[in-house]
Amino acid sequence: METLTIDNLRVEYRSRAVGEPVKTAVKGLNLRVAQGEVFGFLGPNGAGKTSTMNVLLGFVPPTSGTARLFGVDVREPIARQRIGYLPEQTYYYKFLTAEELLRFYAEIFQIPKAERSQRIDAVLKLVELDHARTRQIKTYSKGMQQRAGLAQSLINNPDLLILDEPTSGLDPIGRMKVREIIQRLKSEGKTVFFSSHELGEVETVCDRIAILHQGELKTEGRVSDLLREHGTNLEQIFLKIIGHPPPP
Amino acid sequence: MNTIWALAKIVVLEMVRRKDFYVLFILTVLLTGTAGSVNLFNDNSIVRYLKEICLLLIWAASLVIAITCTARQIPAEREQRTIFPLLAKPVTRAQFLLGKFLGCWVATGMALLVFYVFFGIVSASREQHWPVLNYLQAGLLHWLMLAIVIALTLLGSIVFAAPSSNGTICFVCTAGILLLGRHLNKVALGLTEPLQSLLYGVYFAIPHLELFDVRDLITHNWDLIPWGMMVLATLYAAAYTAFFLTAAWLIFRRRPLN
Amino acid sequence: MNPAPALLAALALATALATGGRLLAWQTERAQDAGSVFDLLLGESRRAFAVHAFLKADAYYHSGFYPSVFDLAQQADNSKTHLQESIKSAGAEHHDHDHDAKPAKARDWLEAFGSHFFPSQHRHLEKFGDEREILPWLRLAAELDPHRIETYTVAAFWLRDRLNKVNDAEQFLREGLRANPQSYEILYELGRLYAENNRDVPRARAVLELAVERWLKQEAPKADPDKLGYGQILAQLADLEERAGNLDRALAHFARLKQVSPAPETVQKRIDELLARQGRPR
Ligand SMILES: Nc1ncnc2c1ncn2[C@@H]1O[C@H](COP(=O)(O)OP(=O)(O)O)[C@@H](O)[C@H]1O
Ligand SMILES: [Mg+2]
Repeated sequence: METLTIDNLRVEYRSRAVGEPVKTAVKGLNLRVAQGEVFGFLGPNGAGKTSTMNVLLGFVPPTSGTARLFGVDVREPIARQRIGYLPEQTYYYKFLTAEELLRFYAEIFQIPKAERSQRIDAVLKLVELDHARTRQIKTYSKGMQQRAGLAQSLINNPDLLILDEPTSGLDPIGRMKVREIIQRLKSEGKTVFFSSHELGEVETVCDRIAILHQGELKTEGRVSDLLREHGTNLEQIFLKIIGHPPPP
Repeated sequence: MNTIWALAKIVVLEMVRRKDFYVLFILTVLLTGTAGSVNLFNDNSIVRYLKEICLLLIWAASLVIAITCTARQIPAEREQRTIFPLLAKPVTRAQFLLGKFLGCWVATGMALLVFYVFFGIVSASREQHWPVLNYLQAGLLHWLMLAIVIALTLLGSIVFAAPSSNGTICFVCTAGILLLGRHLNKVALGLTEPLQSLLYGVYFAIPHLELFDVRDLITHNWDLIPWGMMVLATLYAAAYTAFFLTAAWLIFRRRPLN
Repeated sequence: MNPAPALLAALALATALATGGRLLAWQTERAQDAGSVFDLLLGESRRAFAVHAFLKADAYYHSGFYPSVFDLAQQADNSKTHLQESIKSAGAEHHDHDHDAKPAKARDWLEAFGSHFFPSQHRHLEKFGDEREILPWLRLAAELDPHRIETYTVAAFWLRDRLNKVNDAEQFLREGLRANPQSYEILYELGRLYAENNRDVPRARAVLELAVERWLKQEAPKADPDKLGYGQILAQLADLEERAGNLDRALAHFARLKQVSPAPETVQKRIDELLARQGRPR
């Protein structure tokens, strides 16, 4: 069974101001992600990656088309029971400590009391925030906040992880950590769906990728197949597809 | 229900960790203390004016706490983008609203408890009696009224974008109803049609918050309110609260977040 | 995020209302030499607040029951507060106003329901000494508007007649006299205090005679002088002299009283009695 299914998805933003044109962010997107895959969702800024994810998470209703998680329409809250999500920019309740934040989310997922502390310990260890767990989040550095975000996305031991540009704004060590975590989840058989425009890391961790440009799907396939087909690296393929002249 | 309660706890925790309540409480204590230390014809047993001032301060402070606390909830969630990781979890929009409502209501309830204990101490220090049941009724009605105000403010925070303008509007509406709500029908009598029918309509439509204001009964040591009336008042408050929350949900349900 | 500034301003206003007198008094002390326009405006609002404080005292006298301006608009007679009336009848049980035990009939179900949640019945203070509860508002009224004579006279009445606080009453009246040196009303109250409570005949006489003097100077030339006030002073003086045994003086006062009294026959009766006691024929 597919973990993630997107059929004919169209997302339009209607401006509140009268007379402004309707902005189409996603145009007829079809996408399938199978269980256990690490899927790279690529595209330049403004391609429509975040918009697609907003639909997957129920923040924005699809203008037309459908999206399903584990076969359940994304408009049902229950579809989000088995997913973890890390937003593009992470901000959390500043007055909470990392531990309190995770406890709160654990309660929302209705994780049984007995398991809660165990889960919290596990994810804090995974993102290496154990030492700062009782500090309020407002005292964290940017990298620490990003890791706290990653921790919250893992609190329910999700089967599908949706990460929106998880490495943007991180230093090289931070990126390495994120890559490590993605690979670890893959080894546990989890599905990871993440957006990025940092092609080097995509090449190393992804099984499959899709490239989105101006709301349209330009290409999709196994990384190894694409590389073989075009006979060049991912960066060149990306630039070619979005219509940029290759650098001299 | 667990989800709603989890959301509510966060709101309460926020309030406990912010300074607003403490500032208002200390202000109330200081002003009451000042009023109490005035020498009035060398008579230390004069108490009712002090009770009245103390209750007025408590009412003003509770409205400020309830409205500011509620008005900032949803705008803050959106501004700081904490709403995204939250609603990406299996939380419905209705649960989100109810959690916020419950949190604000419980938080102001806790504040009220502290305030009324202080009030009890002030009045007992001079009157030497402690009509707990009367205070309980007054506090309960006060809290019920705040439920309506909080639901209204929550609705406002969805309709109006800026939390400060929403807070001001809600404060003005609340104060207006508290001061004039009881008299609209009498004012209507003196008007010509169609203004008269219009004002009557307003009179019957607005939530009569002033019903829940029994400060005068407490100040002047009146008897208990019949418990049947208390039940009716509770139902009355519940109906308006439910109405405002439903309206908030209907608007918020389909609103895109981005 | 800070709470909206408008809300803080509203709270400040509410507290200013609550502690009104003290804050305003303190403020005007500092604003004394600021522009006179400001003083004038402040003076007007202070007078308005003083009236409000006085009405508050009346509401306290009725255990919080007080018809609003909206209720009053429906009734015709509302020129005087109960508080003043009850004093005019000089401490006698004041049955001079309507004591409808039943509250007015509710206009609609909301009003009927609401009547359970505020003092909706006419009720007077019950326990002995409860009258003291009105004093803070009178004190406040005096502080806000020191030229409101009845504030002093009403407060002094309750203080000495009901609360046995003659010294405080005297002090308050003296305060009023300092602010209103020309007031015959305050002098009259002071005279009553000396006569009835202190039994200090010479002082009472001096004060009451001064009151007569002031009345003659201020009121007599007027087209519609306050004859009632004058009569009260004269009656008090006459009683005082009678008790002190100066029947001649008492007779002189009664003679003047007869001229202004609305019931000259009663005064004549007293005169006859006195003449009889003097053993003089008619
Ligand atoms: N709320 C919005 N209102 C109008 N247009 C929007 C809104 N959000 C995004 N867009 C537009 O939709 C397009 C896709 O945006 P987005 O999905 O954020 O791209 P990406 O995440 O790939 O950078 C962009 O052109 C952007 O300007
Ligand atoms: Mg994006």
